[in-house]
Amino acid sequence: MVPPQYYLLLAAAIFCIGLFGILTRRNALLFLMSVELMLNAANINLVAFSVYWGNVTGQTLSLFTMALAAAEVAIGIGIILTLYRNFGDVDVTDAASMRW
Amino acid sequence: MTTKPQLNDDSNFLPGLAALGLFVVMAVVFLQAEFGAPEGFPADVSIVASIGYAMFDISADQLQQQIVSAEGFLAAFLIMAIALDVAIDAAVYLAKREEAGEVVTALVEDVRSDDPTSGGEPSSGRGPAARADGGYDSSDASSGGDR
Repeated sequence: MVPPQYYLLLAAAIFCIGLFGILTRRNALLFLMSVELMLNAANINLVAFSVYWGNVTGQTLSLFTMALAAAEVAIGIGIILTLYRNFGDVDVTDAASMRW
Repeated sequence: MTTKPQLNDDSNFLPGLAALGLFVVMAVVFLQAEFGAPEGFPADVSIVASIGYAMFDISADQLQQQIVSAEGFLAAFLIMAIALDVAIDAAVYLAKREEAGEVVTALVEDVRSDDPTSGGEPSSGRGPAARADGGYDSSDASSGGDR
């Protein structure tokens, strides 16, 4: 069996790539992709420790996380569409106020 | 003249150092962590069936076959079904575009499909072209608006 430290390192790397994208980019679509990377990093940990401890709770929970990610993307794309309509761009720093 | 994609390097990469620092901290902690002996799954048990039974809260004593133990997720399954339903409704609500109370198509310019040879080109001279941001380009209908 692969040591769990390897899974943890992989998940940490993917999480930090997502965090890097959120901290450095201004494009809303790249924001959404970065959040997906961070969510999938959590999924890797759930599945890895599910196998390690011999319990399928983690794998079942990861399925729910994927469904939650799908819902988040549906809402996120709708928000980006509205952002583009109202500001003519998908730069997240343009939407600095609650009214326009 | 052809153009090629170029890396958008106008971002400030300095805040990204925080992510790099976080990875270093996590890597140090993970490599020093100690875990107990791995248990793993039994060889003669179906994992996929066990996940399915866990999702619908069916315990092992109701079944003829052996399954891997897990908690029940029936309530979470129903809540997630409602959340997905709400999400698709919200996505449709956010994506639809209304002009004077009438729903029009989202992010589509004034494309007329009556001419099959046009290949979906924006119409010219037949009224104002709809821009992607919801407005109409009345000054130059043949320009195609904001792409």
